[in-house]
Amino acid sequence: MPRLLASALQLRRDPRILKLPPYVSLLCILVGVAWLFLLPLDRYSRKTYISENALLPGQVHTYFGGSDQNVFRAYKHEVNELVGKSNIEINDKLEPIVKGLGLKTARQNFTYHAAGHTFAGENLYAILQAPRGDATEAIVLVAAWENVRHEINKNGIPLALTLLRYFKRWSLWSKDIILVLTPDSIAGPQAWVDAYHDAHDPSHVSSLPLKSGLLQGAIALDYAQEGRFESVHVVYDGVNGQLPNLDLINSIVNIAGGQMGINIALQEMWRHKGGYPDRLRTMLRGMLKQGLGLASGAHSSFIPYHVDAVTLQPFGEGWQDEMAMGRVVEGSFRSLNNLLEHLHQSFFFYLLMRTERFVSIGTYLPSAMLVAANFTIMAIALWVKSGQPPAGATPPKNKTETPDTTTAPTAAERDLFLPLGVVTLIQSLSVIPLYLFNHAPESALTPLFATFAVLNTLLPPALSHLLTTLPATPTTPHQYNLIKSFSLLLLGMFLSTLATLNFSLAMITGLLAAPLSFVRPCRSAAAKAAASALLTAVSPAVVLLAAALYWGVDVTTVLREASVAWHVCGTYSPVVVWCVWWPAWVAGSVVVLGGRREEAVKEKTT
Amino acid sequence: MDGAKVTPGRTACLYIGAAVLRLVIFTLLPGLPDLLTGRVEISTPVTSFKRLQEGLFLYNHNVSPYDGGVYHQAPLLLPLFSLLPSITRLPIFTYLLYIAVDLLSASALWRIADSGEAGSSALFTSPRREKRWSGLVIAAVFLFNPFTVATCLGRSTSVFTTCAILHAVAKAVSGAPFGAMVAISFASYLSMYPLLLLPPLVLLSYDRQHSGRAIKSAPKFAAICASTVAGVLAALFQLSYLVTGSWEFLPSTYGVQLTLSDLTPNVGLWWYFFIEMFDSFRSFFLAVFWLHLSSYVGGLTVRIRRQPLVALTLILGIFAIFKPYPSISDAALFQAMVPLYRHVFPLMRYTFVSTAVIMYATCLGPAFYYLWIYAGSGNANFFYAITLVWNLGQSLLVCDLLFAVLRDEWEVERPEMVGKEIRQI
Repeated sequence: MPRLLASALQLRRDPRILKLPPYVSLLCILVGVAWLFLLPLDRYSRKTYISENALLPGQVHTYFGGSDQNVFRAYKHEVNELVGKSNIEINDKLEPIVKGLGLKTARQNFTYHAAGHTFAGENLYAILQAPRGDATEAIVLVAAWENVRHEINKNGIPLALTLLRYFKRWSLWSKDIILVLTPDSIAGPQAWVDAYHDAHDPSHVSSLPLKSGLLQGAIALDYAQEGRFESVHVVYDGVNGQLPNLDLINSIVNIAGGQMGINIALQEMWRHKGGYPDRLRTMLRGMLKQGLGLASGAHSSFIPYHVDAVTLQPFGEGWQDEMAMGRVVEGSFRSLNNLLEHLHQSFFFYLLMRTERFVSIGTYLPSAMLVAANFTIMAIALWVKSGQPPAGATPPKNKTETPDTTTAPTAAERDLFLPLGVVTLIQSLSVIPLYLFNHAPESALTPLFATFAVLNTLLPPALSHLLTTLPATPTTPHQYNLIKSFSLLLLGMFLSTLATLNFSLAMITGLLAAPLSFVRPCRSAAAKAAASALLTAVSPAVVLLAAALYWGVDVTTVLREASVAWHVCGTYSPVVVWCVWWPAWVAGSVVVLGGRREEAVKEKTT
Repeated sequence: MDGAKVTPGRTACLYIGAAVLRLVIFTLLPGLPDLLTGRVEISTPVTSFKRLQEGLFLYNHNVSPYDGGVYHQAPLLLPLFSLLPSITRLPIFTYLLYIAVDLLSASALWRIADSGEAGSSALFTSPRREKRWSGLVIAAVFLFNPFTVATCLGRSTSVFTTCAILHAVAKAVSGAPFGAMVAISFASYLSMYPLLLLPPLVLLSYDRQHSGRAIKSAPKFAAICASTVAGVLAALFQLSYLVTGSWEFLPSTYGVQLTLSDLTPNVGLWWYFFIEMFDSFRSFFLAVFWLHLSSYVGGLTVRIRRQPLVALTLILGIFAIFKPYPSISDAALFQAMVPLYRHVFPLMRYTFVSTAVIMYATCLGPAFYYLWIYAGSGNANFFYAITLVWNLGQSLLVCDLLFAVLRDEWEVERPEMVGKEIRQI
């Protein structure tokens, strides 16, 4: 044992050990990425299963149909009359219909301001009191007038009304059923669910006059398509990448697929062959959506409140009619009605590959953690390196002496003040873009972005210039190492925290920031220019622009959506971009420009 | 930085800067103080400002503040806070009180730093003592430490204890044993655990007596100190009895700390153990946990007899880890004392690791608490795991400081070993 310790101590002082960390951290990144691509294989993903026995999906007969078809046509007729009318007029018309079913109804006003726009409207909702319940639990059926693509929910609203009329006839409900009709798919549900949990700002969103019990689950109907459909698209991404319990998705897959013979599609994969490429594509699309953290449907705002929710979206040309869709919802509601306690058995963190294959957090988290760990490894290595004597000085040689009397590795005193100051300054500067992009009106976003992109390119040279001229003694390579070390330490810390909250966002940011691990002060002007150009290519502004071009949208649209999501849903992705990634990028660019020629160093020292 | 000249202007700048920072946060982000007040990392059952409000409400309505089992703090805080205008209408007075307490703590810390006790005590003079930070820097490190600021914003009542402890130490190093004993009595009255600081504090006061009116006999000095503390505590208890009209406050304040009857999660190590524990073992393990906490006092006081301030610092660090209801304010107090040992920093070995661990835990703690309580996708183990990491970081810092101080002493005893590698066994 003592010999082992002694050899470990020897190893610690071996200069070769300091050469290792860049390779270790490169290995971390490569393994992290490779891990991700292994996930869709059968060996690493698992078959889905229902954990919660109480759900009993598909075990009941569904009776929706028959004469309900006529009721549906009547409601549809009424709804078609309302197309093009104002929100208030629609609610004025729908409220008596719902009241006529014998339900209590109420309305709620909301106004949100974001990116110079005002999102205002009025929600209408009704509560069907459970014949066998005590109003302590409720299930929600949401039908928005418009879906996220601004198509009118021409079949969804009548179907929801018909279903409620049908549910009213049954005496088996042990949970209240709440029907929520919102004017849009993002702001309306958000206002309603915020107010339901008393987490709203009363100056923008009015309180709910009528409430029921704890929400146990929610299903949103997005049925804008006319005619018969083939399959159902289940949208499950919540705000900030939170997901509903996997049991809910499994139950719906089970009911629709097993009982009704309707196929389920995920992540806009309209045709899924089940092979590796399609699984990978489904997973990557899921990760991208999760990473962006935007609301993807009327269900999204429920998930942060721990209410498991999905949107059902019929699509394709087939032979299924509205009644089949109604039976899927009926079956799901019967399952949710069976629940004895809140869904908790199954997974909350998962990546779906197809409807019946998934990977759980234990399997995929290591990849993001490895990417985050690469920054921490480099930070520690740079710290150790900054404590070594400068490159020119000869290290004391005393190999002849016994290990017990060798001099202790004297860590050189580090000057922490300047590096800490620089990193703190850059970190605090990041509040500026965050504030500006979230508070500018839409018209100002494009010029603002252009100005920011230019300033962003000029900032590192300016900071670097300040660092060489301002302090009394020029900044040493050790100090640059320390700047990089602290900034990477912060980056690694934030990303590993983020990986527990939003895996995909941490993974995407980590990969985009990965080059920052390997930058080092360049000596010649050409190398500096090349390295800066390369770094600029992975700067937040350029990546934003490139992503917008790739998906064929306007940068302004992207920024507006981000701003709206920030104000309405509380999406925190902008914070990650501007306060985690951007400062690390600036620090990396300053470090690249920090190197000086050897001769210059010598001249100054002599 | 080391030789910075301290002028009245700089002093004023520091204090005004710290006060303005806190006032700006209080006024510009009015939601933040209430958010921080609710955080388990800042407010424990025995220091929470919310619970103080509850106690205050009951007290002002002539109901015993300890009815309902929410309020577990010292009774004399109630008359103090009922003198202030209501927090809902004029919160500024409460803010100003908390800011003033922070500044008072900083000034005590400043005096401790300027005394030079950390570098050269009565029985030991460190060869490295020249390298130290001025009181200004140390006070600034304390005042701008994010943990201190967060505690102040969260209006945890532990700031009063911190202030009393720092004043006790400051009085002791400036040769005023009576003042030190009165201050430590106040700290013990407020939170009980500072009573354990008494042995090293008595030694510190004994070492730093003014030569003119010094009491030479150590037992006599200790007896006088102990009786002073007992007297002041008795007076405070009597006053509390008069204020609340019953002795109920004793089980509700000190009893709760001794028996850990409130199991609200915090950053410490106790709550999870006692949640998991079968009731039949509870009293046994309570005794073990308390014995463990207090056993450090004797050992450290004896081992580092020559530098009582070091013993005090290390015990404060150990409290921040092993107390029944620790919060980040205890960590802030320990971190305020650590910069006094600037001269042994080069001997410390794990500064980067312990700093990184503490920073990681600071980030991950709230995230895991969110996953457990709000998102419902995690469970209590998540948060407990991160409190283990947090305490690992703190204990690394404590051990590292202890190592550095002992090595410093050792190099004086054995000059031939200066700079040689040693192996810890």
